[in-house]
Amino acid sequence: MDLLWQTAVNAMYAASYMSLIAVGLVMIFGVMGVINFAHGELYMLGAYCVVFLYAQENFPFLLAAAAGLVFVGLVGLFMERAMFRPLRDNPLSGLIASIGFLLILQTLVVLGFGRRMGHVPPPTQEKLEVFGAVLTHQRLLVIVAAILLLAALWAFLKRTRFGWALRACAQDAEAAALQGISMTQTARIAMFIGAGLAGIAGALTAPLVSPTPYIGHSVIVTAFIIIIVGGIGSLEGAVIAAVLYAFVHTFVTTFFDGVIANIVGLALMLAVLVVRPTGLFGAKERA
Amino acid sequence: MSRKSLDGKITRRKFLGSSAASGATLAAIGAGLPRVAFAADAVIKIGFLAPLTGPVAAWGKPGLDGCLIWADWVNAKGGVKIGGKSHKIEFVGYDNEYDAAKARTGATKLIKEDGVKFVMMLGGDTWPGVQKIAEREGMLFSTLLPSDLSPETKTLLAPCEVHPIYNVTGVEWLAENKKELKTAAICAQDDALGKPSVATYLAAFEAAGIEMVDKPEFFDPATTDFAPVMTKLLAKKPDILCLDTCYADYVHPLCEQAFQQGYKGQIISCTADFYQKIIEKTSKEFMEGFIFQFPDFDDPAMNSKGVNFVKPNEFYAEYAKRYGASEWGAVSWEYASIMDLWADAAARAGSADPGPVLEAMKAGGTGKHAFGDAKWWGKELFGIDNALVGDWPVVAIEDGKARIKAFKSIPAWWDKHSKLMIKHMTALGQMWNQR
Repeated sequence: MDLLWQTAVNAMYAASYMSLIAVGLVMIFGVMGVINFAHGELYMLGAYCVVFLYAQENFPFLLAAAAGLVFVGLVGLFMERAMFRPLRDNPLSGLIASIGFLLILQTLVVLGFGRRMGHVPPPTQEKLEVFGAVLTHQRLLVIVAAILLLAALWAFLKRTRFGWALRACAQDAEAAALQGISMTQTARIAMFIGAGLAGIAGALTAPLVSPTPYIGHSVIVTAFIIIIVGGIGSLEGAVIAAVLYAFVHTFVTTFFDGVIANIVGLALMLAVLVVRPTGLFGAKERA
Repeated sequence: MSRKSLDGKITRRKFLGSSAASGATLAAIGAGLPRVAFAADAVIKIGFLAPLTGPVAAWGKPGLDGCLIWADWVNAKGGVKIGGKSHKIEFVGYDNEYDAAKARTGATKLIKEDGVKFVMMLGGDTWPGVQKIAEREGMLFSTLLPSDLSPETKTLLAPCEVHPIYNVTGVEWLAENKKELKTAAICAQDDALGKPSVATYLAAFEAAGIEMVDKPEFFDPATTDFAPVMTKLLAKKPDILCLDTCYADYVHPLCEQAFQQGYKGQIISCTADFYQKIIEKTSKEFMEGFIFQFPDFDDPAMNSKGVNFVKPNEFYAEYAKRYGASEWGAVSWEYASIMDLWADAAARAGSADPGPVLEAMKAGGTGKHAFGDAKWWGKELFGIDNALVGDWPVVAIEDGKARIKAFKSIPAWWDKHSKLMIKHMTALGQMWNQR
């Protein structure tokens, strides 16, 4: 029974940070129509904000994590202005530009921090027991932060004029423009939020992983599987698919094998595509 | 700025004065240099083809750093004397990023463009990209992973690290000194480095009468969250947690996970690179008694009579001075120790060419391994006697510091348990004729 609870706790943690990354990716795609291949590197940048501010400069961890959100959000704004806006009419060019940008980000981090893994001492070693399962405060922080941030995002999208504008642009950009909604303004907001969410995911998980300049590769593949399963463009789909994928992957890893878990994850994506080519929430509900 | 300089008036007096000052400065610098004269062509280039970036860089870059110390020391003493002439040694590095295709490109460049006389590699997944070039060119290569050896490539040597065979010594020491440990669980990344090491540990545990609680857990090398892996490993409450030959990027989070999930038992691992950082993430008490295979070279035991590595304590001190003590890792000394063997063989052969050096190195079937005199071995396991095997240290972390507990003989273990090793290597498809 302890094993079941521990696995469930592990899955909740994985679902939390993957939701943040996948929702950010969906935001960018939904509003701008660009598949941002550099999204994994935005996660990596968030982790390195913590490496620099917390591990090297001794700022408080939460301040470093918040700085990660803001800094990576600003990098997102730069990407929007320098790459995606000039290439707005050609999504393929945007995708290729994002691949180039991810290599630039990796190289910059290598130059700044070296090639080896960054060392982040744990902000706390406190832990609590939930039905025999161990949950460290650091992992609990990731879970709580993900819930709060996603709830705030939901409220922003449903209750504010900017949120309505974002959703309108995601549903039909031209119709939204005819109503006087600025595409440039909404793209900026989407890029800042999308990048910022990846950044905060990287920042919060930095003490729990071994940050390297190449860590983005590992998360981007999973993020793509999640947004395809959830339905490309659907925020609710991304969250539900992240939870589904995390639970399936974690339980299969624990009770069978990590490599089999990857195969099952991909099989899940294929099965959803065969039965419902738009993904679980694709087309019907978009951001 | 440059424009200003170009426009500035240079008088004859200024020119002569500057020239005299430059000449005096050069003479002064020259006086401070070691009095070693190298002919223009008396430079021997050695290729260093290993991962200098990426997740496996910890087993490449520190080795190159160690080689630079080796070269500085050797060159300061006049270089390597070959055929009565002193030769300066120069390392040419190529980052293969632990990728076979990049290793192939690197090997071609090093041989054809740089004219190296010897190429040192980490090996593993990168060796298949280089093997054909080595066979075609007859170039002398070394690997840290003797599982790369096969009878097809006679110019590939494993003269230092007999990975993963030396891992048997750690398990043997545990069985002798901690008899209460009866069960073990093992995990490794699913690649060419992890699998032969798992086979070795399985053989060593079986030889020691230690039972495996589950089949080995192979995880995807792209894994970043190790909580599920650790949950599975600890589910059956093993006495020993074996981290196999996991890369440093995995050993650290695996240890952290074991700590967080409340594990209090014995840990054994091939490496514990940058172990001070693991202690920071866990605790000194948690890491107490952690067994691995790579000593810090400031260990007093490194000065024991049998050790052949030249000035190990001084080498460690210089490494720590240049790069920081926490940067010391498993391979920091290994490539340098291979260079000791190469330089000795080249001096005896009177030539730096691959053929004569290879012949001199293997002459008499024995060699001076870093940890003691050893023999060229491996026919049964690799199809060729190109691995230099002797004693290997067993290291334990005590009060936050790595300490050598014993030097144990690999050939002695092999003589008693070779059938077990071949059984497990065969089961995982790791024999030379299966790869």
